[in-house]
Amino acid sequence: MRMRRYAIAGAAFAVLWTAGAGVANAYPEYQKYSQTNSGRVTNCAMCHAHPDGPDGAGHGQIGSLNADALSRLGRARAAFEPGTEVDSPILNGFGNTIIRTVGKSKVIELRSRPGELAGMLDQASDLDGDGIPDAREYAEGTHPLQAGSGNPWSLFATNLRRSGFHIGAILVASILTMYGLANLLRGWHAAAAAAEASDER
Amino acid sequence: MNAVSKLSALAGFVADRFPVEKMNVASMIGKKVVPLHRMSWAYYLGGLTLFFFLIQIGTGLMLLFYYEPTVSDAHASVEYITNHVSGGALIRNLHAWSSSAMILCVLAHLITTFAMKAFEKPREVIWLSGVLMLFLTFGFGFTGYLLPWNQIAVNATKIGLQSIEEVGAYLPGSLATLPATIKETIQGEATVGQATLSRFYAIHVVVLPLLTLGLLGMHVFGIQLHGMSRGTEAVKVRFEKFFPDFVIKDLTAWGVAFLVIFVVAICLPFESFFSYTLAEPYNPLGSTPEGIKPEWYFFFVYYPLELLPFWVIILASNAAALVLLAAPWIFRGTSRKTLRALAVAGAAYLIIVTIFGQQIYDAIKGVQ
Repeated sequence: MRMRRYAIAGAAFAVLWTAGAGVANAYPEYQKYSQTNSGRVTNCAMCHAHPDGPDGAGHGQIGSLNADALSRLGRARAAFEPGTEVDSPILNGFGNTIIRTVGKSKVIELRSRPGELAGMLDQASDLDGDGIPDAREYAEGTHPLQAGSGNPWSLFATNLRRSGFHIGAILVASILTMYGLANLLRGWHAAAAAAEASDER
Repeated sequence: MNAVSKLSALAGFVADRFPVEKMNVASMIGKKVVPLHRMSWAYYLGGLTLFFFLIQIGTGLMLLFYYEPTVSDAHASVEYITNHVSGGALIRNLHAWSSSAMILCVLAHLITTFAMKAFEKPREVIWLSGVLMLFLTFGFGFTGYLLPWNQIAVNATKIGLQSIEEVGAYLPGSLATLPATIKETIQGEATVGQATLSRFYAIHVVVLPLLTLGLLGMHVFGIQLHGMSRGTEAVKVRFEKFFPDFVIKDLTAWGVAFLVIFVVAICLPFESFFSYTLAEPYNPLGSTPEGIKPEWYFFFVYYPLELLPFWVIILASNAAALVLLAAPWIFRGTSRKTLRALAVAGAAYLIIVTIFGQQIYDAIKGVQ
């Protein structure tokens, strides 16, 4: 009898779990904030694996998840406190970092004040290594996982610092090439003039 | 005028433009001189355009090694070039930035040569080949824009091709179907897809470069034959030797241009000016994303197109193209002073619409 009750409870839990997994908990408030604050067009790809968000059957959407992925999704959904290692299949690296850094509870709480999320993220975290912290990319509406996406002038300043050696090398090479070419052309011209003068004599 | 005299006039026209007696190294290089006056700086713009075109060829060939012109792989191959190929991001950025630099130089070259009346007899053929190369350069920009197969590329191309078809509504009789036929020929199928990508790719990497090389050969040959135009109405003009003085200065300008484009390409990703949503792979089932615009060098026609009736734009752009092509005959008797004023007006229009087009559009449409 007890076994039967466990079986019924287990089946009910499985049904509820499956139904729950099929419901996406996307938080468009964050996307809206990023877009309004930056004036740039953004979409769900900032935090989610799929640019259209978690609903659907595409890659990185709930409808496409296998048992293992559903289990990872479940663990991520239960990560209410900060510091829990998560690997949600419907989130990208930045989305998972948000959950790990601030916890699911805070993400839900901040929906009414999405601007505060930037301040709660690790200010040193720069997942794409483009020199612009993820928190700033969120506020500026650029992609925290794409090195080519960012405020153009910040990217320029960062890359200028990083590429100092290459730029210096190209500068020296260009100057030497120009100097060499100029002298070569002057030499040819002088040789041609000398040959012409010799012919005239 | 009978056929013989027509042929004789034609032969005379060709002989004046391509004088055989000047076709030797001494005349075309050794004895060639370049005028020195306050607009002499403009003589370097043609060379700079050529330099950026050479960068286009070099970087374009490198991109060909990895780029896949298929709708399934085009975007992924561009991502692969950018993120995984050694130096790929730099080469791609060099290609993108130098294309913009080339268009900037070609426009500046056109405006300054117009202001200097460089189309005067016997330089009509040089002018014509230059104007045709300007059109080809826009063709390079339009066809190259589609190749990364991202949201902005495909959607902007769709809008561009749709505009061609819409011209038909303003043409009489059987001509009305011609634009649709042209669009279908370029597009290759019912909507922008694999056939379009294949055709744009072929046009971008084979057809346009071959046409450009042919016209470029004629253009440079003509310049070497006839020398730089005088460019000024001043009676007393100083000259410098083309070889080696001008050539050395020209090469120095190339060196500086290379440094600038290299620094920009290594430090500033071309796509950082778009929102990242526009750089995502094209989704045929998705709606047109916000922020779709052509490249900056089409703004001079894009913003008027958004603000004015379509027929006005067709009329104005066709008239402008005809005036450009026929400039040597239309402005034969016009003074350089008047031409300079016209050139300044044209340049001011291009600069204002390109830089402030969005603000003007927002102000007129009342967008907050």
